[in-house]
Formats: sequence, structure tokens, C-alpha cells
Amino acid sequence: MYDINVRGPLVEGNKTIHQVTEEISRPMESTVRAWWYVALVISLGALGFGTWALYMTVTEGIGTWGLNNSVPWGWAIINFVWWIGIGHAGTAFSIFLLVLRQNWRTSINRAAEAMTVAAVMCAGLFPLFHVGRIWVFFYIVGYPNTRGPLWVNWNSPLFWDYVAICTYLMSSVIFWYLGMLPDFATIRDRSTSKVRKAIYGFFSFGWTGSSKDWLRYETLSKVLAGLIAALVVSVHSIVAMDFATSILPGWHTTIFPPYFVVGAILSGFAMVLTLMIIIRKIYKFENYVTDSHLNAICRILVFISLIMGTAYSTEIFITWYSGNEYEMFTFFHNRITGEYNRAFWIMIFSNAIIPQLFWFKKIRKNLVIVFIISILINVGMWFERYVIVITSLSKDMLPANWANYSPSIVEIGLYAGTIGFFIMSILLFFRFIPMMSIHEIKSVLKYSKIENATK
Amino acid sequence: MGRTIIGIYDNEDYLISALKKMKEENIEVHEVYTPYPVHEVFKLLKRKTRIPLAAFTFALIGLGFSYSYLYYTSVISYPLIYGGKPLHSIPSFIVIAFVSMISLSVLLSFIFFLIRTRLYPGKRPTIIEARGTDDAFVVVIDHNEGMSTDEEDRIQSVLKKSKAVEVKVKEI
Repeated sequence: MYDINVRGPLVEGNKTIHQVTEEISRPMESTVRAWWYVALVISLGALGFGTWALYMTVTEGIGTWGLNNSVPWGWAIINFVWWIGIGHAGTAFSIFLLVLRQNWRTSINRAAEAMTVAAVMCAGLFPLFHVGRIWVFFYIVGYPNTRGPLWVNWNSPLFWDYVAICTYLMSSVIFWYLGMLPDFATIRDRSTSKVRKAIYGFFSFGWTGSSKDWLRYETLSKVLAGLIAALVVSVHSIVAMDFATSILPGWHTTIFPPYFVVGAILSGFAMVLTLMIIIRKIYKFENYVTDSHLNAICRILVFISLIMGTAYSTEIFITWYSGNEYEMFTFFHNRITGEYNRAFWIMIFSNAIIPQLFWFKKIRKNLVIVFIISILINVGMWFERYVIVITSLSKDMLPANWANYSPSIVEIGLYAGTIGFFIMSILLFFRFIPMMSIHEIKSVLKYSKIENATK
Repeated sequence: MGRTIIGIYDNEDYLISALKKMKEENIEVHEVYTPYPVHEVFKLLKRKTRIPLAAFTFALIGLGFSYSYLYYTSVISYPLIYGGKPLHSIPSFIVIAFVSMISLSVLLSFIFFLIRTRLYPGKRPTIIEARGTDDAFVVVIDHNEGMSTDEEDRIQSVLKKSKAVEVKVKEI
């Protein structure tokens, strides 16, 4: 049970239930401010750049990328893993905390899930693009065909990946949408404009809030949470197996699945933190996303970052302990030192060392520093994937195969395009969807009034 | 539904004590509308759901279906050996079957939920009290055909005594 005397109120400012409805639906009902349009134009610009890059990829082929025979996986795969990692923690955040009955998730879960959906969509684009001939992507669907029927190679981790990501996207969307049904109904019932009433009425599926519906709703969200929690762990393990089942030095390790899952949670939590600081600041939701919420996320980040640090050092230790000369070369001459050492050290500093600053209360309270660290973690996580993909591929066992890699403008464009898409989705989310789960905040209001606490 | 007596509360605690009171007085509550799920209400109205059982069944069906599909395609329909791996590669099949199990269970449970709650896109519900999705806790009591005026007054007074902010009779 949540003890308010120990942990402080979940929602500050002694709100009434009606106030919660009012305040959370306000951003959707008030006029749009200029910064929103500016941000939208910038994100659409980035999306335009990405569209051009996609056009080049489709019309000219993968030759427009900076890939070569030794490095056939470049930015596309790095970005894919990076986005899927960010997309992971949104749902992980919401679901693990639901399964553990942590009430403080209530004001953050909606934004985290929205971020997940947008990030997984971005992630899903890269496997699609990197095949080059996008129009034959449907070959990966195992359906009865006229080519035999020749089925898909079920033994390939790349195929597992495809199944996992489709499942993850669908489940995240369903889970997110389910949570929005009651809130859409709230907006439907309070809006005075006919158009809004009709639109939100359509999307609320006719929700009324009867006890029967609530019971089913709650039960279903717990059941889905249980299912998706297993999925979160398995999806990123499968992504890790894309690498770990190969025999390349630096990839062929059993530590990869847990290491990837934890890495995904680190980057996703950092992104949640970034997003919540922005939401809280712009929309003045300080009473809902309180200092203690952000404090809690920071503390979780310390813990996850320690696991990351352990994983990095375990990898290096095992390399030395195994005595395998190829592994030794990859880690000691190609990562810690060597051409790509900058990426390696950015990874170590931003993921394992800098988040340790969150041990200090003063730093956890200084939101500017927290914001900067949250972004640094995501930069670091990008470099982690860069280190894994590029260093291992560019120098494998045969020196004759060695080749360097640098991205072409088309690859950069695709990455910028997905960032534009992500920001655009978040902006639309700010505008048209309640940013916090209205009904869930109402249900924890009783943990927010001191006089009710002793009951 | 016909004539109903409606009591509106503005507080979860009052609602629960009112429901308890009505149970003592043998007043049958038709439905309660709340802005957020209140677990006491489920208990007092004896609401039950079979969604966990359904989800479990869907998961079993999903697991069985996907595993047999994998087995059929790689062992029966087109037995092709590549990489020296066995046709029936259990470790790979488990990974795919596990994920498809979750996939089918999530999808079918959601559809099951929509069917059971009779919710669908664009449905126009009968809204008894618009504030029910905002901050009002609404108790709806069926007004039976043969209900006498005394009975109606009794119900209304119970509602009022249990701190209802508003009591009204409405045709639905």
C-alpha cells in the first residue's frame, strides 16, 4: 500500500477530481502556441530530408549508402537498435510499474507509451529500408505462395526479429489505446463543440464507465501487462540474438541478450525523463509530475547504469580471460584503443559513469543537469550500438577484409527523417491526446491528501 | 430501460457507504458509473469477469496454432535442410511460437473485451449523467413496474441520507 506519510503525495496541490479533468484537458482545448508550429515545421523539415533519402534509396539502391563488403550493416541497423531500445522502455516503464503496483506511474505512463509507439514505428522502418528493394519485403511473411510453397527460414534470428517487432508494435498500440478509452470519453462528455464531441465520441468506443466495464478494463490491462512484460524482455533478447548468433568477435557472446535488454531500458527511461521534463515545463504540470517522480526515475537510472557498467566490464574481463586472440584484438585494439576508441569512451562515459552523478541529491534536484544527462544517456546508447556494429564488422579475423565505414548523406537523411517523424508524433500527441491518464490520476488522488492518509 | 432513480455522489467514500447501506436495506442497484475504477464497488455489486481465463485460452490456442504451423511448413509441406539443422528445430520454433502466442493472446483478448463490453468505434452510448466521466459517482436503481410511491420515497430517502448531492428520477 502506498504510504503518503513516508513517500509524499503523488499529486500535489490538493486537487479535486474535477480539477484533474480540467487541467489535463486544458492543453487540448486551449489555442495552439507559436512554439508548437515552429517545432512542427522543423520536424516536418527533418521528415522531408528523410523522405528524400528514402527516395534515393528506393530509386538508386543501397549503393547510395556508405556500406561495403565488410561493413554491410551500417547506420540503418544502429538506428534500428537505438530506436527499438528507446521504444522498449516506454512500455517497460508503464508495464513493470503496473505489475509491481507502483502508483507513481500514473502521471507518466501515457507519455511513455506514446513515445514507445512512435519509437517502435521509427525502428520498424529501418529493417524495411535496409533490404533495398522495399517492394519485396512481403517475402518475409510466411504465407502459402506459388514459389514451392517455399516458406521462410524460421531458424533465422532476423525472422524472429520481424515477428517480435510486429508483435511488440501491435501490443503497445493496443495497450496504449485501451488506456485512452476512458479519457476520450471524459473529453467527449465535457466538450461543447459538436465536432470534438463526434471525433472523441468515435474514438471512445462508447465508453460510459459502468462498473462492469471498469472491472473488465482493469482486468484486461493487468492481463495485457503480464503478457507484454514477457514480450519486452523477449523482443530485445531477440534483437540481441541478431548479433549473438553470429561468430564475429565482439558479437558472439552469451551476455548480449540481458545486456541489450538493460541497455534498452536505460535509453528508454532516459527518454521518458527527457520527455517528462519538457511536458512538465511547457504545460506547467509540476503538480502532477512532481519532483519526487523525477527523483524516482533518476534513482532507477543509477541502478540500470550500474548494470550497464557491470556488463561492459564483464565483456572486457571475459575477453581477457578467454585468451581468444580475435576477441582480444576487437576489444583491446579496436574498441578501447584504435580508430573507434572515441565512440567507445563516449559510450562508457555517458552510460556507465555520468549517470552515477544521480547518487547526489543536489544533482537529482537540478532539472537542467538532469535534462542534460538524460540526453547524454541517449547519445551514449547510440554510440554503444555504433561500437558494437561498426568495430566488429570493420575488422574481423582476416586483415584482407578490413574496411572502414563512414555514413553517406542518404543514411544521415534516413536517421534525421525518423527523428523528425518521432518529434512530429510527439507534437501531435501533445495536441490531441490527454498527456496523462486522467482516470488513473483520479484513482490515486486519495493518496494525495494528508487528511485521508491515516485511513 | 424505463424509469430509473439516480443518486449522484461526489466522493468515493460516500458512494461505498451508500452502497453498503442499500445492500442492508435490500435495494437492488442496477449499475454504478464512476470516473475511475473503484474496487469496493466490484465487490459490493458482485461483478465478475472471465477475461483472465479467456486470455489464457487464447494463449494456449495461439501457442498450439503457431507451433503446428511451423511444424507443418518445415517438416511436412517443404522439408528443406539448410545449414545442417534438423527439420524440426525446437529452439527456433519455441522463440517464434512464444512471441506469436503473446501476439494472438493480446489481440484476441482485446477483441474479446470489446465484444463483452459491447464497445465499438463510433458507438453512441446512453449517457445517464455526463459528469459520470468527470467527477460524479452515479448510482442507478431500476424503478420496477409495480413499485409503489412509498417504496420510491424510501429509496430516495436512503440515497439522500447517504449524502448524495443529487437524487432524481429519470426516464432512460
